[in-house]
Amino acid sequence: MIKFKLNGRDVSVDVPDDTPLLWALRDELDQTGTKFGCGVGQCGACTVHVGGRATRSCITPVSSIAGADVTTIEGLHPEGKHPVQEAWRDIQVPQCGYCQSGQIMQAASLLKDYPDPTDEQIDGVMGGSLCRCMTYIRIRKAIKKAAAAMREETASHG
Amino acid sequence: MIKRLLAGVVGAGILGGFGFLYYAWYPPIATIEPPAAKSFSAEQIERGRIVAAEGYCAECHTRTDMGGGPELAGDYRMETPFGAIYSSNITPDPEMGIGQWSEEALRRAMRLGVSRQGVHLIPAFPYDHFTKMTDQDISDLYAYLMTRPPVHMARRPNELPFPLSLRIGQAAWKLMFFTPGVYKPDPSHDALWNRGAYLAEGNAHCGACHTPRNFMGAEKKGSMYDGAVVDGWIAPPLNDKNPTPTAWTEDELYQYLRFGVAPLHGPAGGPMSPIPHRFLSTVPEYDVHAIAHYYADVAHSAERSKHDKAALAHAMEQSKIDLIGPNVDPDAKLYQGACAACHYNSAPSPVLGRPDLALNNALWLDEPTNLFQVMLRGLTAEEGQSGIAMPSFYNALSDADMARIAAYLRRTRTTLPPWKDLEKKAAEARETVKSIPVNSSH
Amino acid sequence: MGKLERIAAQQDRKAGLTTSRRGFLLTAVGSAFMFGFAREGKAAQVFPASAGMPGNGAFEPTIWCSIAPDGVVNINVIRAEMGQHVGTALARIIADEMEADWDKVKITQVDTDPKWGLMVTGGSWSVWMTWDTFRQAGAAARTVMIEEGAKLLGTSAANCVARNGRVIAGGKSISFGEIVSRAHPTRTYSPDEMAKLTLKPASERRLIGKDVKALDIPAKTDGSAIYGIDAKLDGMVYARPKMPPTRYGSKVVSVDDSEAKKVKGYLRYIVLDDPSDTVPGWVAVLASSYPAAIRATDLLKVTWTPGKTANVSENDIIEHGRKQIAEKSGGSCVFNDAGVDEAFSSAKQVFERTYTCASVLHYQLEPMNALARFQDGKWEIHCGNQWQSLFLPVIAKALQVKETDVVMRSYLLGGGFGRRLNGDYAVPAALISKALEGKPVKLILTRSDDMQFDSFRSPSIQTVRVALDENKTPKGWEHHASAGWPTRVMAAAFMEKGADGKAYDQFAIAGADHWYDVGPMRVRALDNDLADATFRPGWLRSVSSGWTPWAHEAFLDELAHEKGVDPVDFRLSLLTAKGRNAGKAPDSVGGATRQANVLKRLVEKCGYGKTQLPADTAIGIATTFGQERAMPTWTAGAVQVHVDRKTGVVTCQKIWLVLDAGTIIDPNGAMAQTEGGALWGVSMALFENTEIVNGNVRDRNLNTYTPLRISDTPEMDIEFVESTEKPMGLGEPGVTTIGAAIANAVFNAVGVRLRHQPIRPADVLKGLSEKKSA
Repeated sequence: MIKFKLNGRDVSVDVPDDTPLLWALRDELDQTGTKFGCGVGQCGACTVHVGGRATRSCITPVSSIAGADVTTIEGLHPEGKHPVQEAWRDIQVPQCGYCQSGQIMQAASLLKDYPDPTDEQIDGVMGGSLCRCMTYIRIRKAIKKAAAAMREETASHG
Repeated sequence: MIKRLLAGVVGAGILGGFGFLYYAWYPPIATIEPPAAKSFSAEQIERGRIVAAEGYCAECHTRTDMGGGPELAGDYRMETPFGAIYSSNITPDPEMGIGQWSEEALRRAMRLGVSRQGVHLIPAFPYDHFTKMTDQDISDLYAYLMTRPPVHMARRPNELPFPLSLRIGQAAWKLMFFTPGVYKPDPSHDALWNRGAYLAEGNAHCGACHTPRNFMGAEKKGSMYDGAVVDGWIAPPLNDKNPTPTAWTEDELYQYLRFGVAPLHGPAGGPMSPIPHRFLSTVPEYDVHAIAHYYADVAHSAERSKHDKAALAHAMEQSKIDLIGPNVDPDAKLYQGACAACHYNSAPSPVLGRPDLALNNALWLDEPTNLFQVMLRGLTAEEGQSGIAMPSFYNALSDADMARIAAYLRRTRTTLPPWKDLEKKAAEARETVKSIPVNSSH
Repeated sequence: MGKLERIAAQQDRKAGLTTSRRGFLLTAVGSAFMFGFAREGKAAQVFPASAGMPGNGAFEPTIWCSIAPDGVVNINVIRAEMGQHVGTALARIIADEMEADWDKVKITQVDTDPKWGLMVTGGSWSVWMTWDTFRQAGAAARTVMIEEGAKLLGTSAANCVARNGRVIAGGKSISFGEIVSRAHPTRTYSPDEMAKLTLKPASERRLIGKDVKALDIPAKTDGSAIYGIDAKLDGMVYARPKMPPTRYGSKVVSVDDSEAKKVKGYLRYIVLDDPSDTVPGWVAVLASSYPAAIRATDLLKVTWTPGKTANVSENDIIEHGRKQIAEKSGGSCVFNDAGVDEAFSSAKQVFERTYTCASVLHYQLEPMNALARFQDGKWEIHCGNQWQSLFLPVIAKALQVKETDVVMRSYLLGGGFGRRLNGDYAVPAALISKALEGKPVKLILTRSDDMQFDSFRSPSIQTVRVALDENKTPKGWEHHASAGWPTRVMAAAFMEKGADGKAYDQFAIAGADHWYDVGPMRVRALDNDLADATFRPGWLRSVSSGWTPWAHEAFLDELAHEKGVDPVDFRLSLLTAKGRNAGKAPDSVGGATRQANVLKRLVEKCGYGKTQLPADTAIGIATTFGQERAMPTWTAGAVQVHVDRKTGVVTCQKIWLVLDAGTIIDPNGAMAQTEGGALWGVSMALFENTEIVNGNVRDRNLNTYTPLRISDTPEMDIEFVESTEKPMGLGEPGVTTIGAAIANAVFNAVGVRLRHQPIRPADVLKGLSEKKSA
């Protein structure tokens, strides 16, 4: 039985230690927003947060995150209103949408590291997230929009 | 913490001869009734806890295979080329542990590497370091160990063949390589330095992993802290041979030893990981500062850190090579897909949680060992930086892929000559991984 | 079977998977699914179509839409949602004509049913095919609303107008919902009656052409969107295939599962017996979890006798095509104009060039998967699919049942790009379920399985020849193209008849039948049968129009240089809009004139020939008619590249596109499609390709297959020509000009002509050194 925190709740899964976190999330915990893409940690579709950092769940054994804090797209914001999600809708980023949970999780993590990201920083961090519909131009725009919204939010609360 | 045991350590047995018998002979020390817990003060037990933590006793005296074992009950398996050996039970169980040992018996074991029964201990037990410990520390340690829950558990018998199984040989080894004696403070240094040196050279036995050993398995006197191979990993040099572009300053060392991650040098992985997380995060800050202070001096980091600003700026430029703007280099693409989302950094300095490879030991060591180990195993949430994990690329990258990434990073992120035989070394590193994750890639 | 079920149940209990939990998921994803424009809670995203919809007092004038008593307008969409926001675009058409309140519009992606007619989503046809029907369906609903609304308002229909979900007469008005709940209209329209309805003029359109938020997007930002791979059914087991060494003809000799049995959760293996011959030689591995299926499949040892193509290489296929082109006979001609042979025999000069393109994989991000079971007398297949009508019969054949006994349940597609036009992945799922007497089975391919099983874009070879007079003016034209023919392999009945009466695969030649005036033309499509035998050729975004312009648009530049004229001026001189290039209503009004217009506009925009660019940097131009001649999206593309002479690396710096696709229904969606298409063009030209090695594709994952990523993305400037003509497709035209424009730009930058796609640094370096030594 492996225990961890998922989207703020304590959960436990009874699966072999070597089970990738991705399948524990999708099949045992019904969080299907996290997607299976390449299976080798190179497309980013399975990106979740572990301890607040973007992590490729398809190659992360569930046993290795025992006790950790895991956030999936379903838990990024209780109403789906994280500034990145809002920006994604405003800019109409998703096409097929399959990679977008991962893109959004990666972008949310990016904005923690680089609150006012340059194009270089966006390319540097988002380069691991493949979008086969090639929504890249909109991803760049939406990240900047979300960053601006988050800075505004901080300013108005600060 | 000595998880390596070279052939020579055991092989010394063959040198055992009658001529050594006198030198080698120690009488048994009389058994005692296990002392009552209340015979020790709470303060002393707490001091003993710290001594035990600073010596990482539980690391090698707790079974990790077969689903793990009770703390300090021994049976920790160490591989040698001749067969496995197993550590002792150091709980106060009278039969299986050290319950019948007097404080004197423990002191003799720590100082001279001889058991209560008079048997020479294999120097996998690093008495060559513990010999430097003060009476007070050993006494406190005794108090702590004797107040642990006794565990009635036998260790598995060592798997050494005759004549290596003869302990008499260890005496010969001692004659050649062992200098007993308590640490003597160096008056040319201050108290913090001396405290650090006392811990580092003694109880914390850092050299056991970080100093290379000779063919007989003894630490090479002239190569102190030059770095060595441990359990398939490289314990990097702790002196000025450390190759990272920025210095291991006192603060970097402190962060690393206390929290398992240094802002510039990245997280502790592999056999080093438990040192901060299991042990040094539980001892007085002063002691960790002292160790950091001492090694900053050993590595001449004050001198080296003059170049840090330039080195850091350069590393930040290297960190983003091929990640900005289009590129069609297949190796760069592989690095971009597999690694860069977490390892990219930009000026002025790396973000904590984004270990920068251009600054990390792994790329600058003579061999790709640590790079391959961490790629294969990843880091659990308990290891490295607490609460975050690095995935295991065991199945995600073939030996050829790992070799490509290693060669690419060495080429683009360092100024050092290329590593050789990378694919073969990747395969060798892969062999050391015991629990293989599920493979979604084929 | 009973035993297997017990094992599975046992393991489910161990894994804490109770029936009730999975049962919930069944209700959550069963039947059709629906998107709401105004999203409420997360759980509300996915629920059966019956709730609140027809059958609950809703008015349903046609099968395409209904209005519920609460005013909710439901629109049935038979096209697959794979990122093109097709439901939004199509719903706009009905809603606009109906004068519906957009905030009350919902979409239902329907399951298969014969009443829907042909169910296919591809070729950028969706809007074009649906345009008339959906406007008529909207008009039908509007007509009834006005008639019934007028009665309730106590006036005549002539005094009423419909606006924004209400019928208005002077100061009085009534909502559509109220009309339905009070008047209970029941009138239905036949297709003939629909066709007679009066449609609104373009000037009266209120939704079409306006920016709109796509209905499918919100669920794609919070994890609630349900794709085929997310489908779960009570009691299902997982399967993964063990794939044979060749696509066809492999036979299983022996299977050894002694190692696989050591995997906790492994159930059994099944050697598939496939009467449809879709997945010959497959062995399926069953387990109680997908990770267990993955591991057990790795450990299962199967020996096969491989099929005949076990040693075929990419080069073998190209060389086979080269021979086909060299032979006069063979193939089928799209155009075979009188006088071609005479033009060549009397030519002063014949100018000829040959172009090749490598294999390209779909790499749609959701790996192939399907969930199958037998339920209530029918075989249900749960998956995302682009061409249900094509694969229902194949599944039926595989199962040896009637087509009406199979139903496909619709889910979102995690990428289509043509891969899911071919529903071959549903067949093994159905066969496994059949072997388990109808038990639900979820088959998922790992990425490596998926790439090996891809029906990818065939490698191709094309030769273009032109007969020139003494002024080097074209007097006759030949274009020969050899490639695998997806349509022959999978949908032979859909092939078109050529000028010579022989069937040909329009998706392996379209694009070559261009609108330039170059004298009599022969455009010949050759079926590369070695390709067809080695793998299953597939339709891939923009199909042949993704690679035929690679030949003729590069060729036109080469010819212009040969002639010593500017390539743009040269093209404009050939776009005369005469004869068959004059165009015809309703689809190609204006003909080649419109292609000339987009080209002129493009040249203005990008500064081609005017702007001073740095050394080794240049703009290249190409123009196409988009997807196919019968449905032209007039397209002109320019690409600015920089060539690094030291490394041979070609960097695509900027793209300009001007398109005339007639009326633009959903401008934002149109832009998104075109952006994506153009980047596919860049990706195929510079970043991704594979190669057939020993009968299989060389690349099995992203470690060696390297599609364009965000850092590779150039700046883009895309413009749509304003038009009220019939809307054409936009899913694919963005791709079509890019490859040739890049090749032309490379030539303009450093004088090296590259005729193989993708363009690799080594080819550039070779070209540069040849040029030096020449």
